[in-house]
Amino acid sequence: MEAALGLMRRMPPKHSETALSALLSLLPHHSSDLLSQVDQPLQVLCDIDSGKEFILCEYNRDADSYRSPWSSKYHPPLEDGTQPSSELRKLEIEANEIFAIYRDQYYEGGISSVYMWEDDNEGFVACFLIKKDGSKTAHGRRGYLEEGAWDAIHVIEVGPEEDGTAHYCLTSTVMLSLTTDDELSGTFSLSGSIRRQMNMDLSTAEGHLCNMGRMIEEMESKLRNSLDQVYFGKTKEMVCTLRPPAEITQMRMPES
Amino acid sequence: MASKSNAVASFVEAAPPGELSNVITDIKALTSDSQVLKSLDPAYKKYNEEQFTTVKLPGSSESVVVSEYNALGVGRYFDTTSSSSFAFDHATQKASSVQSHTVESQHLDLIKSLSKALSTHASEHYPSSSVGVYPAENDSVIALVVVANKYSPNNFWNGRWRSQYLLKPNGSSMSGSIKVDVHYYEDGNVRLLTSKPVSISLSSTSASDIIRQIASTEKKYQEDLNRAFTNMNEGAFKGLRRQLPVTRQKVEWDKIGGYRLGQDIGGGRSR
Repeated sequence: MEAALGLMRRMPPKHSETALSALLSLLPHHSSDLLSQVDQPLQVLCDIDSGKEFILCEYNRDADSYRSPWSSKYHPPLEDGTQPSSELRKLEIEANEIFAIYRDQYYEGGISSVYMWEDDNEGFVACFLIKKDGSKTAHGRRGYLEEGAWDAIHVIEVGPEEDGTAHYCLTSTVMLSLTTDDELSGTFSLSGSIRRQMNMDLSTAEGHLCNMGRMIEEMESKLRNSLDQVYFGKTKEMVCTLRPPAEITQMRMPES
Repeated sequence: MASKSNAVASFVEAAPPGELSNVITDIKALTSDSQVLKSLDPAYKKYNEEQFTTVKLPGSSESVVVSEYNALGVGRYFDTTSSSSFAFDHATQKASSVQSHTVESQHLDLIKSLSKALSTHASEHYPSSSVGVYPAENDSVIALVVVANKYSPNNFWNGRWRSQYLLKPNGSSMSGSIKVDVHYYEDGNVRLLTSKPVSISLSSTSASDIIRQIASTEKKYQEDLNRAFTNMNEGAFKGLRRQLPVTRQKVEWDKIGGYRLGQDIGGGRSR
């Protein structure tokens, strides 16, 4: 598995689906591990009852069906599909409503879904997902094909409550893909993912949703800064290292 | 079997600059099937020739390029500048058994002067680069290649710039492509892949004029790349997620859910 994940770190993120299916052909016995540990671009389905779209991931999957956070029904229908406890489902409904407000304030669009399930050590786990497709809203210039996609996956493990506090472990991944294809710059594809973790012990006086929301908000803003630095700072710097811009070369010229 | 062979070949083909050996180590940890590993050989050859892998010849400090244009077959390649040929092991990327080799071409003088001018151009613009100029396609065209690598595995990034041009001697134009490949992998995996086909019209067939045209094409491409970075940062990236909400204030979590938190005690806080 380590070698498989190592390979995934080196394969072009734009073609991660191809790389994953190549890995599956080499390691057919590890398919469930691979599917749960390799992040793939998020897919969406439409909830038949509410008409709203929801995001698919390993955490709302049972067999070949996915549970909608809106109706809690599986698509395609699945009898006896796993459901959270009624108490956790209440929190999940509320989380979906609040997180949709958060998503709208930062993303001005996009789709979000929150899934919760009980874990083995008396706590629970929540997965917050956001998908924003920039290609539909981007005002491309003439002859300028531009695509931007942002997929965020936040998984928070919440420990059991003790003396009014709980332990929160947040693991976040943002997959960001930006591409253009025009006459001037040719094809230009900048894509990838960045992952970070954050651990906090917080008072539960204001409720789990406030704590989880604040952690995700802080994490997303850190990740956004990192993506900005890596995509437009480091990567560009590397291009300039390979071929220093003219100003720098001219300064060096007298030596040679 | 066939799909496994395709799988390992696809990993080799997509290996980032300077990371082929890491990719191979991982592949060998995933499969020990000798039939599958055998299929790596053609994949290595394709990778090295496409990526313009550079190699130092034994007893020389200069790096030479491996490409489809200077292939002699049976695993040997030639170098114009040193008038030599060498055996190249595609799996280990090592050269051996250097022999003297006379490049045969009716355009030998042009090739030599292009080679000299291209070396000068590359050393002026690329801190770490190798070049090659070869007769290709049965001596009907001259191939010019430039490759610049920068490997910084301690900082989790590697990069490669490749340019190639095909010139018809006495022709009035030259076609080619410029490609950039950058990999950044600290706490993640970010890849820049660019490719730009170029077509250059020539007003003169002198080597120095041809190289001057290449220089200005590459300079312009770099400017276009920088513009693409800026456009993407200010356009697509900012359009995906704001730094702060429209209100310019962080979300007041205790308030957005407030209307519910009060009325629904069972909403999780009782856990």
